[in-house]
Amino acid sequence: MDNGGLSRDQWRFVGNELLTKASAVTVRGVLNMLIENLNANDSRPVIPLGHGDPSAFPSFRTATAAEDALCSAIRSAKFNGYSSTVGIPAARSAVADHLSKDLPHKLSPDDVFLTIGCTQALEAIVSVLARPKSNILLPRPGYPYYEARAGFSHLEVRHFDLVPEKGWEVDLEAVEALSDENTVAMVIINPGNPCGNVFKYEHLKKVAETAKKLGILVISDEVYDHLTFGSSPFVPMGVFASIVPVVTVGSISKRWIVPGWRLGWLVTNDPDGILRKQGIVDCIKGFLNITSDPATFTQGALPQILENTPSDFFEKINVVLGECANILYDRIKEIPCLTCPIKPEGSMFAMVKLNLPLLESIKDDLEFCRKLAEEESVIVLPGVAVGLKNWLRITFAVEPSSIEDGLRRVKAFHQRHTKKQ
Amino acid sequence: MENKFAKWGLKGQKEATVTIRDILETIKKQVKKDDEKPMIHLGHGDPSAYSCFRTTPVAEEAVNRALRSAKFNGYAPAAGLPESRRAVAEFLSKDLPYKLSEEDIFITAGAAHAIELILTVLARPGANILLPRPGYPSYEAHSTFLDQEVRNFDLLPEKGWEIDLDGVEALADDNTVAMVVINPGNPSGSVFTPEHLQKIAETAKRLGIVLISDEVYYDLVFGGNKFVPMGVFGSVTPVVSLGTMSKRWLVPGWRLGWIALSDPNGILKRTGITDCIKKYRNISPDSTTLIQGAIPEILEKTPKDFISNIVVLLREAAEACYSNIIEIPYLDSPQKPEGAMSTMVKLNLDMLEGIEDDMDFCLRLAKEESVLVLPGSVLGLKNWLRISFATDVASLEEGLQRIKAFCLRHSNMIM
Repeated sequence: MDNGGLSRDQWRFVGNELLTKASAVTVRGVLNMLIENLNANDSRPVIPLGHGDPSAFPSFRTATAAEDALCSAIRSAKFNGYSSTVGIPAARSAVADHLSKDLPHKLSPDDVFLTIGCTQALEAIVSVLARPKSNILLPRPGYPYYEARAGFSHLEVRHFDLVPEKGWEVDLEAVEALSDENTVAMVIINPGNPCGNVFKYEHLKKVAETAKKLGILVISDEVYDHLTFGSSPFVPMGVFASIVPVVTVGSISKRWIVPGWRLGWLVTNDPDGILRKQGIVDCIKGFLNITSDPATFTQGALPQILENTPSDFFEKINVVLGECANILYDRIKEIPCLTCPIKPEGSMFAMVKLNLPLLESIKDDLEFCRKLAEEESVIVLPGVAVGLKNWLRITFAVEPSSIEDGLRRVKAFHQRHTKKQ
Repeated sequence: MENKFAKWGLKGQKEATVTIRDILETIKKQVKKDDEKPMIHLGHGDPSAYSCFRTTPVAEEAVNRALRSAKFNGYAPAAGLPESRRAVAEFLSKDLPYKLSEEDIFITAGAAHAIELILTVLARPGANILLPRPGYPSYEAHSTFLDQEVRNFDLLPEKGWEIDLDGVEALADDNTVAMVVINPGNPSGSVFTPEHLQKIAETAKRLGIVLISDEVYYDLVFGGNKFVPMGVFGSVTPVVSLGTMSKRWLVPGWRLGWIALSDPNGILKRTGITDCIKKYRNISPDSTTLIQGAIPEILEKTPKDFISNIVVLLREAAEACYSNIIEIPYLDSPQKPEGAMSTMVKLNLDMLEGIEDDMDFCLRLAKEESVLVLPGSVLGLKNWLRISFATDVASLEEGLQRIKAFCLRHSNMIM
C-alpha cells in the first residue's frame, strides 16, 4: 500500500493521548469486551444484565403520549431550525415547571439548560469546574463517565465510599477528610447507580450540610428520578438548595425509557444566586455555546411530553422494575457465592458481592463476567468498571422472564464452578 | 465558597464565546421594537424558517416511521448505527473514485460536533492549526478551548477567494497539525476548482498535515464550478471530511452530521487518528438515535428534484443579491456567489460619514432599518460584511434596498 512516500514520522499529527486514558474504562467499553466473549454456538438468547437501556423490551415501551408529542413536533416543521444554545424557551419553562413541583422554591426557565442527554449535562459541569489544581469528590462505586470526563479535563478525582452496611449511604466523614481548599464539588447519584439505593431525606440533608461546611457545591445526578419502588420516596437534592447550591443533572432517558432521544438538562438550584455571582452560570452558558445541542424537535415536543404523559405510565414502569428487583434479590439469596446487601429500591441496578473463595479458578470479577458470558450467554458488569473490584453490577431492567432465566443460568454457572468440598 | 469560586471563568472564555450567534444577538437588540418595518434577517445561515426552504416530506416521513417503529429509542453505538454509517458511506462514495466503508464514517450531533471531535482528537500541547480568513469562528472557538494556537491563511478575494497557498506554507512549522478548508465556501460563497483542490491536497501532503474539509454545503452550488469533494484527492493526502444533513436537507435543528475519513492509503489509521476518534466518541454525546435510524431511507429516497429545486432557489437568491449589491457604490462584491448561502462584501467606509467600522455599520443598520447582517470582523475580515441570501427573494431585495437607503443617508459624497 502506497503511503504517499512519507514514513510515519513525517506526518506531523498524532492522536490526543488524553483520550486513551479517558475512554479506557467506560461501561460501553467493558460491555463490548464481554460481548466479544459470547459463544456464537450457543443457541440460547443472550440475557443482557449489564446495560442501562431497557428500551428494546416490550414492558418498557415509552408512553404513547411521548411518541405522539414527538411526532407532531416533527410534522409541524416548526422545529427544523437551530435552537438557542441554552434550549428553546418553551422547553426550558416546561422543565422548570416540571421540576418545581417537587421543590420548595420555584425554578425559573433561566435556571434550566437543555443538553444532549444527561451525558452532556455532566460533561458541561465537569468541564466548567476543571481548573488547575481543583479536585472533585466522586462516589465509589459510581458511574465511570465522571472519571472519564474529569480525567480528560485535568480535574483531579478523589473517591469517597458508599457504605454497603448502611444501605449505601455516603461516608460523610470520608468526604470531610478528603476535602481541601481545592475541592470544588461532590457528586451524588440518587436514585443510585450502581447501588439501586434511594437516599433518605435526613441523609441528604446531612450531605447538604457537609457540603456547605466544606464550601463545595453538590452535583446531584438524578437521571433515575422517580424510578423508585421501595419504601423510600425520591427526594430531589434541590430541596436543600437553601443550605448549599445544587446543580442537578437529569433527562427524559430513564423515566420515559428513551435514551436514544438525547434530551437532558442541567439545572441550577441556587436561590441565593451564589453560582451566578461566581460566574459558574456564565461558564456553563459559554460551554454550551461552543458545543452541539439537542435536536430542536425533541425540545419542541418536551412541554407535551412532560405534561401529557399519564401517571399510570410511570406507575406501570415502577411496578415492572419493582417486580424484577424482587426476583433478582430473591434469586441471589439462593446463590451462595453472591450477596446483595440491600434489596434495590430504585434505579435499574443492584450491586452484588462476589464470594470468590467459594469458587474454583475464578480469580476476580472480570474473569467471572467473561466466563459467564462465554458459558451462559449472560452479560453482567464487573464491579471494577464502577470502582468496586470483585463485585458485580446487575441490571434488572429487563422483562421479568429474562431476569428469571438469567439468574437461573447464573445459578447453574455457580454450581459448575463451586469448589468441591 | 465565595473565595473558592472567586476567580472563575471558563478557560479562554472571552475568545471562546465570540460566536456568530452572540454577535447577531447583540445586533438584534438594536432593532426598534416599535418599527413598522418587518425585521429582515440577512445574518444567519438557517433558511429553514422560510416556507420555500422546507425539507423534503421524505425526511419527515422517515423520521416518523423510525419513531413509530419503537426500534430507535435506545442508545446507538458510539460511532453510530451501522446501517446509518453504511448509508452515509454509500452516499459519499457516489462522488469519489474509491469506495468508503462503514468504518470510515462516524455519526455526530451535527457538523458542529464533528468540528469539536476532530479538533479534540488532533490537539496536543504546543500544536497549531491553520484556519482560513475569512472563516467560520467555531474553529477558532474550539481551538482556543483546547489551548491550540491558531494561524490564519488568507482567502484571496481577487482570485475568487482561492487559498493563498504560499501563505499556508509560510505559516506551517513542525507543530502544525492540520489545515481547514471550507468548500463550498462559508462565508465567501466560492466553489473551488478541482485544480485548486488538488494543489491544496499537495500542499497538505508536503507539510505532512491533516486536511480537514468542511463540506457542510455539499452539492449546494449554482454557478460555473461544479462541487468536487476533497475526498477525490484522498490518495494524495489523508482527508477528513465534515458533513451534515443541516444545509442540504434544510434541517439544522435535527443535529445530524458525520466525519468521513477519505484516506485510501490508511494513513489516519496507521497514525492512530482513527482509533482516537473512536475513543472520543466513547466519552462524548451522540446524535438522536431516531434520526440515525431514518438516514438510510432519507439518503436513498430523497428525490433528485428536491436538491435541484433548492439549488434553483439559491441561484435566484444569489443573482438577486449580487445584482442589488452592484447597484450600491458603498459596497464592493468581489464576485457573484457560486455556492453555499452567503457572500462577503467590502464596505467603502471612506464614502460614509461617521461610521467607524463594520460592527458600527451593522449596529446602526439594525437600529435605523431593522436589517441584520454580520460584521466581517467576526470572521476575520474587518470592514467587510457577510450577507446571507438564503431567504425569500422579496425580503432579500427589500433588505438590500434598505441597506442602500441607509448608505445614502450616511453618505459623505456630494450627489
